[in-house]
Amino acid sequence: MSKTIKYHVRNPDIVFREEFDDWAILFDPDTGNVFGLNPTGALAWKMLDGTTSVKEIAEAMMRLFSNVPEEAPAEIMQFIDELVERGYVGQDVTTP
Amino acid sequence: MTPPKSQVMRSPRTVDLAVTNRCNLRCTYCSHFSSASEAERDLPIDEWLHFFEELNRCAVMNVTLQGGEPFCRPDLPELIDGIVENRMRFSILSNGTLITDDAAAHLAGTGRCTSVQVSIDGPTPRVHDSFRGTGTFDQAVNGIGHLRDHEIPVAVRVTIHRQNVDHLDEIARFLLEDLGLPSFSTNAASHFGLCREHTEAVQLTVADRTQAMETLVRLKQEYGNRISATAGPLAEAERWAEMERARLEGMDRLPGGGSLTGCGCTTSKIAVRADGVIVPCILISHIELGQIGRTALQDIWTYHPDLNKLRRRQEIPLEQFAFCRGCDYIKFCTGNCPALAYTTLGDVYHPSPDACLRRFIAAGGRLPEVIL
Repeated sequence: MSKTIKYHVRNPDIVFREEFDDWAILFDPDTGNVFGLNPTGALAWKMLDGTTSVKEIAEAMMRLFSNVPEEAPAEIMQFIDELVERGYVGQDVTTP
Repeated sequence: MTPPKSQVMRSPRTVDLAVTNRCNLRCTYCSHFSSASEAERDLPIDEWLHFFEELNRCAVMNVTLQGGEPFCRPDLPELIDGIVENRMRFSILSNGTLITDDAAAHLAGTGRCTSVQVSIDGPTPRVHDSFRGTGTFDQAVNGIGHLRDHEIPVAVRVTIHRQNVDHLDEIARFLLEDLGLPSFSTNAASHFGLCREHTEAVQLTVADRTQAMETLVRLKQEYGNRISATAGPLAEAERWAEMERARLEGMDRLPGGGSLTGCGCTTSKIAVRADGVIVPCILISHIELGQIGRTALQDIWTYHPDLNKLRRRQEIPLEQFAFCRGCDYIKFCTGNCPALAYTTLGDVYHPSPDACLRRFIAAGGRLPEVIL
């Protein structure tokens, strides 16, 4: 039986800090580690609410930023995978 | 007052919290007592806990608990639990004498303690206790032991003064070899608080500063950079040597040189007195920005005219001060700490005379040749 990861959701223990302009950081208070986010990463983080798909995040980026490359959805997925690996994001796994 | 051109974070990253006005000691050079940070009351725990929720909403990452002596608060564990619940890490500045095994175990159990800074001013009770009180050396060393038993990072701070300036080699040996600490930092008894009443007995003379610089620079090399400083003789030696080299090499300017850039704290930090009054820095506690629970921290951070004026301090050129005119170092100097300027002259918008290289040399001071 295959499983499909539909949505991702932010770990509420991770602190999201907008610092200068639209740049931001994620702070893990348990480790003290900091992870830098550029403006598109910051937007993606805000949209990881457990109800917004990667496709919808990519569409929002295309609306809000200029020169978004075609491979944006794949890059967003790569970015989210990294956040999942760090424990900053959880996956909502559904079984069809 | 509009915000300055320089980059100010959207909210403070770190907040210094004087969680109590009380202390079990009265160190001769204490910066707290007899200063504007000496508050009339301690804020009740409920108000602190509400404030921690506000810090969480502002995405503050770190708080530094100080006082007075934080371990004087019997409800310190509850305060720390409130910090943890609100997604922050914490550090503590302590004299070390009240740190028990239970207290250290609680700190360790949170997993959020970045460090506990303990003051050790001598290699023996005689030297350490001279300005801190009988028995305090043994108690502080015991406190360090409890912290290390629970694997809490210990950051020892040595305050250099007249009674220990001749013992720096022994202090380094005690801390780095006998205790086996990875590192320690130094500063000097400065013209704050109670120190102002004991200047002659406590503060380093120009000759003492010269000696301390030479010794600390040598010790830092001998111990592989395990000694550091952001203020006091070692920091001055390093900064002043950089300025002297720049002058000798005919450089146009050093980064930040030529104006009052010596303090960047107000772009990322703010502080709260024991009575809950929000101030730019514990050492600039006379500038009151608001009261926690009554004024939103975010509003103070973004809009308070006194805070934004202080941030614009770095735009003030040194050339405008009679004190600096004709100085060969003016393009390399940053004017240093506004709190030191205030405590000496009553004006935060002035270079700190205590940090003036020209004045130091004119008074017979010398920089360590080894770093020139």
